Amino acid sequence: MGAGVYFVSCSLIRGAFFRYFFLNLYVILSLFADLGRQGVLRFYGVDSSQYMYAYYYTDCLLTVTLFVAVTSLASRVFAELNLSRYVRFVAVLLLLGTAGFTYAVVAQSTELLATRFAVELSQNLYFVGLVLTYLLWGAVLKLQETRTRLVQMVLSLGLYFSAYAGSYALLNLAPQYEVAKYLAPLLGCFLPISWALTIMRYSEDARLTPARLVAVPR
Amino acid sequence: MSRKLGALALALGILVGAMELKTLVTAHSNSVVIMANGVSPLPKLPPPQN
Repeated sequence: MGAGVYFVSCSLIRGAFFRYFFLNLYVILSLFADLGRQGVLRFYGVDSSQYMYAYYYTDCLLTVTLFVAVTSLASRVFAELNLSRYVRFVAVLLLLGTAGFTYAVVAQSTELLATRFAVELSQNLYFVGLVLTYLLWGAVLKLQETRTRLVQMVLSLGLYFSAYAGSYALLNLAPQYEVAKYLAPLLGCFLPISWALTIMRYSEDARLTPARLVAVPR
Repeated sequence: MSRKLGALALALGILVGAMELKTLVTAHSNSVVIMANGVSPLPKLPPPQN
């Protein structure tokens, strides 16, 4: 939670709040979601239906916001090619497509349709975000993007998604190890911390040399 | 027009790729879900579909 407050504070101090609005929105919503979840957890306990609903509905909202944040970064990467409009078009199609696909999958369920839908939509959007982030990584390399902040934020997102996929694999391969259960919550701090460090260390005008992005074999 | 069709094809490609990746990953899982947001502990899953 402190990591989120740190990132939003850094954004405000460095005047980058509105420039990276959706990233800030995601972190702020994440803070409120964590506060709400902790409140419900304290009152009803981890095994209660109330906590289950609170957790999965807030998670769905956060995943949609994270997806919008990834799209906003993609829009900035492609802005110089005048493709921002198409990036937004693709994002809307992806969101609608994922929602439609998810509904088709869970429509057979006769009870708790909304909760199932929230869980499945969150899962599906996570994978769409993962693929989108890797494509964005590729675009950053291919276009030899030099804006340091943008590159580091995209790299952070890629690392975050990869680390989650890794922790998920660990949870499935070695469920008996307690550490695997705590890995995912720990990773929740990674994104705001890495974004905050990027905002604090680099100005908007900072540029990378392309040679640092791609190791050219000699 | 062709750019819009390209965008549509790209969106479909990403969606299909993502769902295939999900199927590949979750086919060998023990019904644990990936939850990528926040630091709160995972609750129980909602009852399975009928």
